[in-house]
Amino acid sequence: MNNFKIKNNSIRWVIALKEEAQVILDHYKLKLVNEKTIYPIYKNAQETHWLIISGIGRNNAAASTAYLYAYSNASKYTSWINIGIAGAGKGNYGDLYLVDKISNYNKKKSTYPSTLPKTTLPKMHLFTSDIPISDYSTYELIDMEGSAFFDIASKLTSKEFICLMKVISDGPKNDIKEITKSKISNLIKVNLFNIIDVVSYYERLSQEEFQIIDKPKLFNEIKSKWHFSTTQSFKLETLLRRIEIFCNRKDIEKIIKNCETSNSVIHVLSSKIKNNLVNWSKF
Amino acid sequence: MIETIYVEEVIKNHPRTKFILNKFKKSRIILINKYGEIFNKRNQNFRIQKANPSIILAHKKDSFVLPAPEGFGIGSSKNFYFSHMYNCIYDCRYCFLQGMYSSANYVIFVNFEDFDIAIKNTIKKNINSKLTFFSGYDCDSLALENVTGFAKHILSIFRTYTQTEIEFRTKSIQKQPFLSLNPIKNVILAYSLMPELMSNSLDNKAPSISKRISVISELASKGWKIGLRFDPLIHGENWKELYKELLENIYKNISPDCLHSVSFGTLRFPKRMFKDIFKLYPNEPLFTSPLSLNNKMISYDIEIEEEMTSYCKSLSLMYINEDRIFKCSI
Repeated sequence: MNNFKIKNNSIRWVIALKEEAQVILDHYKLKLVNEKTIYPIYKNAQETHWLIISGIGRNNAAASTAYLYAYSNASKYTSWINIGIAGAGKGNYGDLYLVDKISNYNKKKSTYPSTLPKTTLPKMHLFTSDIPISDYSTYELIDMEGSAFFDIASKLTSKEFICLMKVISDGPKNDIKEITKSKISNLIKVNLFNIIDVVSYYERLSQEEFQIIDKPKLFNEIKSKWHFSTTQSFKLETLLRRIEIFCNRKDIEKIIKNCETSNSVIHVLSSKIKNNLVNWSKF
Repeated sequence: MIETIYVEEVIKNHPRTKFILNKFKKSRIILINKYGEIFNKRNQNFRIQKANPSIILAHKKDSFVLPAPEGFGIGSSKNFYFSHMYNCIYDCRYCFLQGMYSSANYVIFVNFEDFDIAIKNTIKKNINSKLTFFSGYDCDSLALENVTGFAKHILSIFRTYTQTEIEFRTKSIQKQPFLSLNPIKNVILAYSLMPELMSNSLDNKAPSISKRISVISELASKGWKIGLRFDPLIHGENWKELYKELLENIYKNISPDCLHSVSFGTLRFPKRMFKDIFKLYPNEPLFTSPLSLNNKMISYDIEIEEEMTSYCKSLSLMYINEDRIFKCSI
């Protein structure tokens, strides 16, 4: 694992083909990382967006998702996006869909991604197949990676942070054999506005979660002045979280300034909470 | 607006499924095998889901009626509860549901008739005991009544078994089916209340206290028995004045004859549950309260609990008899 610092609005893209990814790479200004990797990995200058080209198939999707997680030091609050082309028995050629149910041959149970962004985009059921399918009659969307991506990503984060989007590229009226590299890029390109809109939801979600779990403002400062054990550090963090809601920085500094040990810091902060009368008119 | 409704395959043609789906014509319907596929999965974020919950329509297989926890009574010798729904449309910060389930989606069980059978069996098995059933332990019993019709359905049993009490505990201002029915003497409509100032901060998405009191007053004047549930009692600046104002406001608006019972409960979280809820909402004002670990529970200190309970009880005694006042101590 690398030591990249986790950024607040953290997005990880898993995309099967370079042609599918090109528009995303261009829009978010993602550049190939400067070292040899098992799968091609791109990132932006701020290291908030990372993208891996997985190649085709479930094994590649699973392996590359796990690889990107480790390589980019993703967190529990990183959002994961899978986008690509898909065959479809329904819908219109070129339209973008969110996926809210996934199934495949090998699994009896389906999985159910959340589709939380407020959007007018339609939703469909995705079937992930290990071989190309030309009989579209039984399925809505068909791809070759989605279920594996979701299975792995949902082990890395909660399912609210995972999104699958598919653009219809082939179907009963559009032969799979007619798909070309430029057509693939173009299918993603015409949907870029909607893709950005959906991804902006996941950027915000990730950012908000990072803010919630962010250490209290005074935590590191206090820790640098006294020695805290692991258990004490946890107590300190919890107490500071609670106190910072009703007490400003100066007041907190004032009450701990005469403490000689970490124990006494925890003691005075606990007393502050114990004696707090919540002023409900403030909240 | 409910965007997605998951429906268990086995009940997709159930008349009640169709009845409910008919109310959400714009929602996307997704067929599933078992509700647990969605609801019981780990790696879900309750807080994020709460912003945009889905409905899950399901078939309940067992455990229709369960014994109520010790300390959850209002005078009967035996207490039971049932839940036709898991989770609540409100988002109250002290609610144990937010630490209980990993999902914030609403599960609605459509096989009401199985609840009927279990309730009747329980009554028959305990024929010599005074029983109270509680609806709305794992949900708010009336908040989604206009969608489910469960209260209306279940009332018919208690019209027959007049010696058995049923309590519908709620924060909703849902007046139906009660307003259009004649009162049933063994049915208690119980309202959770706290001072408006506290409720504004804690009872997210729930109707205001003044609206709740107005509905209580209306249903009481129609002759329905009312339960007042000050559970949990919330501490804070001026808490005495706030509770005095609330209690006096209620007692002046409701005839004491309509009051079935009043109960007071203290704010308590099992340690593990508190940890989960705090993790979900670390910046909530409630957690700036003087809460600490007491006998494996996170609660106010016993002195605070006792002072609050006895203060509110003594105020209530000015309006109602002691035999109608209970302490909820789960």
